[in-house]
Amino acid sequence: MDKAYRLLFIAAAMLISVSAFAQPARPATPPDIAAEWNLQSNEDPGQIGGQGQPALGDYLGIPFNDAGRMRADTSAESIWGTPEYSCRPHTAPHQWRGLGGARILKEQDPLTRDVKVYHVQFMRSLDWPIYMDGRPHPPAWAPHSWTGFSTGEWIGNTLKVTTTHLKDGYLRRGGPQTSDLYSMTDFITRHGDVLTVVTVIDDPIYQDEPYVQSTTYTLDTNATTNTETCNASEFSENGGSDRHHVPHFLPGQNTALTEWLKNEKWIPEAATRGGVKTLYPEYTSTLKGTTKVADLKVPSSKSAVDVNKEIAAQSPHDGQVHVQPVQGNIYMLVADGTNVTVSVGPEGIAVVNTGTAAMSDKLLSAINQLANSAVTPPMPNNCLGANCAGMWGYSSPFINTVINSPSPPKPIRFIMNTSAAPEHVGGNQKLASAGFFPRGGGFGAAVESVGRNASIVAHENVLLHMSAPAGKAPAAPTAAQPTDTFFDELHKLPQYFNGEAVVLYYEPNANTDADSIVYFRHSEVIAAGNIFSTISYPVIDLQNDGSMQGVISGLNHILDLAVAEYRGQGGTWVIPSHGRLSDLADVASYRNMLVMIRDRVQDSIKKGMTLDQVKASRPTMDFDGRYGSDSGSWTTAMFVEAVYKSLKEKQ
Amino acid sequence: MRRNTLLITAAILLISTAAYAHHSYAATYDTTKQVKIEGILVQFELRNPHAFVTIKSKDKDGVTQRWSVEWAGVSQLDNAGIKKESLKVGDEIAIVGNPSRVPGEYRLLMVNLKRPLDGFSWGTKPGEKVD
Repeated sequence: MDKAYRLLFIAAAMLISVSAFAQPARPATPPDIAAEWNLQSNEDPGQIGGQGQPALGDYLGIPFNDAGRMRADTSAESIWGTPEYSCRPHTAPHQWRGLGGARILKEQDPLTRDVKVYHVQFMRSLDWPIYMDGRPHPPAWAPHSWTGFSTGEWIGNTLKVTTTHLKDGYLRRGGPQTSDLYSMTDFITRHGDVLTVVTVIDDPIYQDEPYVQSTTYTLDTNATTNTETCNASEFSENGGSDRHHVPHFLPGQNTALTEWLKNEKWIPEAATRGGVKTLYPEYTSTLKGTTKVADLKVPSSKSAVDVNKEIAAQSPHDGQVHVQPVQGNIYMLVADGTNVTVSVGPEGIAVVNTGTAAMSDKLLSAINQLANSAVTPPMPNNCLGANCAGMWGYSSPFINTVINSPSPPKPIRFIMNTSAAPEHVGGNQKLASAGFFPRGGGFGAAVESVGRNASIVAHENVLLHMSAPAGKAPAAPTAAQPTDTFFDELHKLPQYFNGEAVVLYYEPNANTDADSIVYFRHSEVIAAGNIFSTISYPVIDLQNDGSMQGVISGLNHILDLAVAEYRGQGGTWVIPSHGRLSDLADVASYRNMLVMIRDRVQDSIKKGMTLDQVKASRPTMDFDGRYGSDSGSWTTAMFVEAVYKSLKEKQ
Repeated sequence: MRRNTLLITAAILLISTAAYAHHSYAATYDTTKQVKIEGILVQFELRNPHAFVTIKSKDKDGVTQRWSVEWAGVSQLDNAGIKKESLKVGDEIAIVGNPSRVPGEYRLLMVNLKRPLDGFSWGTKPGEKVD
């Protein structure tokens, strides 16, 4: 090599070195987990009953509390055959154990190449995004999904994934259920070609301590994680002709729970019932008879989920109005714990329910802000330089897009009341007087005697509850009372509003004799009123002709109207009176619970049990942690009494 | 030969994958019991994860009911020679199946099926079973 080449080589090497050393130090690169992974299913508890087929009644290793055990005993696997669940994917705790392997993809920032999102896919799952960009989890009133909302962070070589906003489902197939308040934490670690996933399922409703499972995958460069499409039609797979049939077992009716032990005689039956004490080595002393289970001390942990706080957060009584965009023209406003549905568009505002009187000023302010931001948002002037037609003079004709102020919000045209409940009609007067509905005298004017206020639409029984005959004091001021009532099973707004049909359906003898739901047919949103809540059992006002069956029928009607976007979730959104935004599967879950409770109480009545005996039997025990209350205006005892009397009257 | 063996293995794996139920059979059906129903086929849904046969048949009280009979997955049935043309609406068929564990449900897990008119059957030969 002559001298010239040698110098060139050294210069090039230096250049490369300089280039390399000039880069800022990058953080340690976490292991790449994006690959196709093959499930090593030898850890699946279903092995005992055959691959993927866990035995009925096998609760081994589950830290069940009494509610969890009762729920598992009374849940029927046939629930998969209901139209709402026939396309349900595996729920989150089971996904890692489900058939078909796992695919992990990574979505990278094009500039930094940092992983922004991991996507995990299974054969029977939806896409499961894990956000790595530090974003917060959504508020508690946001919807839940089958995969939930997940964020991830690397701790050394382990990816910690925190998942919230999960729908209720099952811990294992064949019985063990989860509530919708559980959180899931996955610890994903790669060791060469082996992926270890440790999953902590923290369900405060059905478990005494978090349930932990580990699952092993191996790298499979030749595998492809297929997706299994769901082609189920909207017929019930359970036979018969009742599409609203809800399969379940009455307490004590599920007699096959120990059937599997005939072939597994070495397993003590008591241990198969689960429970936190059965998880620890100390439990063996109870099998030997040296210790009683009640006396056994184990170093158990506790749930990190504060149930009361979680439920309250779905419906915060904080004196504020929170805005949750829903779909199309529709927004859900959480006004101090009560949900108000708002349609915003070029024709103005329509609201379903008006919250409490105390919140009406803040509610009106929030609606006006929403109308301004959604319909007449301030826009920057994008007309600049030579590319802007007409800018030949010294003054831009577009100057007024910069020197501007928002136009007034469109007025409230319609208020629809789903019942006469004070928390839903309290703001009627304030909002109606701020609105405008042309009744006479030409558009823009009005005949004084009929006024200009927004139209208040409701079933005529709402007006009956809020008004009084001449000479008697009404329950609400005249200006708060419905102005346009209907008596039939449905009522359509007279024409499209904000580009869609809006239909009110009367739901007879539900919470009261005056309940309706409101269906926005293009936005695909249903305002459910008091028939549906995600924070409590439904209020059944027997004095005003409410009934348990009426509430269930109302929920069934919502299920008939709603269509899932895919695999039982999304699509038609359902806004409850209180609580988080929901969909078909959430309403089905609530309906299923009420059917189970109804049938239990009905069965007790058939057996001749008194109200006190029924209360003592705790027919709602497995749901009380989620929906019950010992205090406040609607307690569990009041609910059970209403169910009992409602069903007793029907006889 | 090795390549053919791999292909066959892959095919079997594919069939097996499609066959496993998304729900638990053991929890859904009482596989220790069998019931026989006879009636008219009104629907044949050849689909994943499992095909369904619906027949109208009288219950023990003589009332005509719609029975929903869960069958194998599409790949497994195809492997056993079952095509969408195999069954016709209006066929008189007899089905033996495992009953649902939930009392009162008109639902079965297919054990075998016979069409007396032409002797067509499934579930009577080795390997023809829902797993």
